[in-house]
Amino acid sequence: MLLYIARRFFLMIVILFLVSIMVFGLINIIPGDPASLMLGQEATPQALASLRQNLGLNDPLYLQYIHWVGGVLQGNLGYSLSDHTPVLNILLSKIPVTLELTIFAFLLAVLIAVPAGIISAVHKGSVWDYVTTVFALSGVSIPAFWLGILLIYLLSLTLGWLPPSGYVAFAQNPVRNIILMIMPSIALGIRLSAQLTRMLRSSLLEVMQSDYIRTGYAKGLLEKAVVFKHALRNAMLPVLTVAGLELSSFLGGAVITETIFAVPGLGQLIVNAILTRDFPVVQGAILFMAFAVVIVNFLVDIAYSLLDPRISLGGASK
Amino acid sequence: MKARLKGFMFLGVILLLVIASGCGGNKGNTSSSTTTNQSTNQLVIGLDNDPPQLDPQKSSAAVDRQVFQSIYNTLVDIDVNGKIVPELATSWKITNGGKVYTFNLRKDVKFQDGTPFNAKAVKFNFDRELDPKSASPRLSEIGSISKVTVLSPYQVQVTLKQPFSPLLSILTDRAGMMLSPTAVKKEGANFSNHPVGTGPYKFVERVKQDHITVKAFKGYWGKKPKIQTIVYHPYADGNVRLTNLTSGNVDLVNTIDYKDIDRVKKNPNLKVDEKDAIGFQGIVLNVHQAPLNNVKIRQAINLAIDRESIAKVIFHNYVTPATSPLPVSSWAHDSSLKQTTADTAAAKKLVQESGLKNVHFTLKIPAGSAQNQQLGQMVQSMLKKVGINVKLEMVEFGTMIQQGTEHNFDAINLGWSGRMDPDGTIYSWFITKGGNNDMGYSNANVDKWLNQARTVSSKQERTQLYHKISQQLWKDAPYISIYYPNDYKAMKKSVQGFQHYPDTMIRPETISLK
Repeated sequence: MLLYIARRFFLMIVILFLVSIMVFGLINIIPGDPASLMLGQEATPQALASLRQNLGLNDPLYLQYIHWVGGVLQGNLGYSLSDHTPVLNILLSKIPVTLELTIFAFLLAVLIAVPAGIISAVHKGSVWDYVTTVFALSGVSIPAFWLGILLIYLLSLTLGWLPPSGYVAFAQNPVRNIILMIMPSIALGIRLSAQLTRMLRSSLLEVMQSDYIRTGYAKGLLEKAVVFKHALRNAMLPVLTVAGLELSSFLGGAVITETIFAVPGLGQLIVNAILTRDFPVVQGAILFMAFAVVIVNFLVDIAYSLLDPRISLGGASK
Repeated sequence: MKARLKGFMFLGVILLLVIASGCGGNKGNTSSSTTTNQSTNQLVIGLDNDPPQLDPQKSSAAVDRQVFQSIYNTLVDIDVNGKIVPELATSWKITNGGKVYTFNLRKDVKFQDGTPFNAKAVKFNFDRELDPKSASPRLSEIGSISKVTVLSPYQVQVTLKQPFSPLLSILTDRAGMMLSPTAVKKEGANFSNHPVGTGPYKFVERVKQDHITVKAFKGYWGKKPKIQTIVYHPYADGNVRLTNLTSGNVDLVNTIDYKDIDRVKKNPNLKVDEKDAIGFQGIVLNVHQAPLNNVKIRQAINLAIDRESIAKVIFHNYVTPATSPLPVSSWAHDSSLKQTTADTAAAKKLVQESGLKNVHFTLKIPAGSAQNQQLGQMVQSMLKKVGINVKLEMVEFGTMIQQGTEHNFDAINLGWSGRMDPDGTIYSWFITKGGNNDMGYSNANVDKWLNQARTVSSKQERTQLYHKISQQLWKDAPYISIYYPNDYKAMKKSVQGFQHYPDTMIRPETISLK
């Protein structure tokens, strides 16, 4: 296990290094000069030259990259080009917002998917099964932005139950925070919950037909015991894989949801930083996202071995 | 064992959640900032973008200025009719043939950090803007200033290299905003995060992409503001902005999409206030690129475009069709240019006269705006009728600006927010090698007239010069003016005392809530 963690850690550094080169390269390839964006349409060539010099944009690319990576290794992600705020501070204020949204959406997805998936698999062909299937199909097909707009129209404008958008930190006003998070979490989480429901249903159906389940029933075990103790655990493996992959993609999906609900998270930050060519902010944020994806995958792998003892992580361990 | 591990994982998730919510990154108390606003002591303003800068001397986005109006004062301001009126300067004298401006300053003004406002502070601000090292976008506006002298504690003299009649008008904008020298020295590059001015409201806090809060400044020299707190929220998406206004989350928005104006007008809780535009919108043509280097083709485009149809179909008649870059609201507007509908026959003839076959070019449109896309499509079909084929290409705005500066395009759909003085609206666009002259346009007469209009002080003379320029631009057609984007502010009916200034900036100190 320890060996495995060490190996994964090493791999993570390699991945992050490659990501850092890619991000740096890509953002510098796209046209659009931060200095001219900062100075606006009417900038004089002298002002542009002087600003580029101040921002260090005149250095050759490899030098800029080395400066940046050198800073990152010392925990300094650089400064925003637009107003000189440290990138780390910006990220620290945005990450919790997106993380909260992601976790809420994920919890919501799991809370819906697990019961729905079990019911529809156990009572295959029943009304519940059809209802769940319809939900799952529509959930997968509805884009988050459209669902978001529908939710605002229904819950805010028509019924007036929820505020249409905004964000308040949990520490300041927990109730308000959760109220404001309801709609974004639904918009972001519904798709995953639909996917998980479908996955769980099919995987549970498959497991339910295996011999040991029949044996369980034959032994006279209660259905509850068969489903929850024996079938569910084996059926969860593929579901977990999907959940893990999707959780990482949440970070990307949050971009649209955050825009619709005016949630000041990472997604909005990145879009804005790209539009203003605030290179250090984009680089820092993407690097963090890559880090998050690697960590999530790592946690999913650990969860595998908890669910199925036959899967060993290190290869060397038992 | 496994059950316990699972328990730990669950606990871990909960812990993450708590940490996530706990360090939300806010310092002050803003719990009320997003609640449905019922208090009459707080005004919530929805902006069309998150202001990139709170330092006026670094700002290049118009939306910044919406916030500046509460934090800063200018040396001189405009009234609702666009006339120049005193603000931090009580009076001024223009001498030496328009080359020397002497300002008398108010004596009762303090910055929000307690620093006294005086002639030294004014000199400090001008020097910072003029210093090439500070790379201020203001330099291109007030570059004609050669020196600033402190005559007495409350008298300051600005000397110009040559007479420059738009100066006062420019000082009503960001170039004339006074920043606290103490705060600038203390914060340095970080001033934008801790702005200090002399305005009616002082900066409290900002969470990027979420809100900016300002509170009434007790030591304000002018009439005390009626509302204690103002919270600015950015909503880049027009629908989101409107939804927040409709649902009561926001009291006032700085702009609404043209397509929504009718809907807001019909809403019993909302009202709309309109003001004529000071800017222009249209198509930049690269006059060095075939086939647009042929003046007949450019003239044909000018005649083939039915501006009235565009205004009606895309903008629901909430914009004014344009035939020159100087809008109807400007005293310099030339109303003799009337061709707002298409003259297809004349345009076809011009294409034939050009002697060119298979005339085609690419029009770049900023991505992300449905209105611009529709405009591109309408222009495309109008030009097809006269034998010009247009290919549309969507380009991200920042990229488009750069390609414009590098003259790497055939045609781009780009406009200008405009300035109070006609010089600020068109000089940089049409002077040879001007900062906004993406067209690569150069006409010796236009250059001469533009420069004359800067130096003569008689309005009548200036008007004549601007008419000549407008007519020449119509003939040369380096830029196809299509419409003037009028300004619409939507607000709740309970918002009282809003005054719509021609520069479209919200001055919140007169506003109250019923």
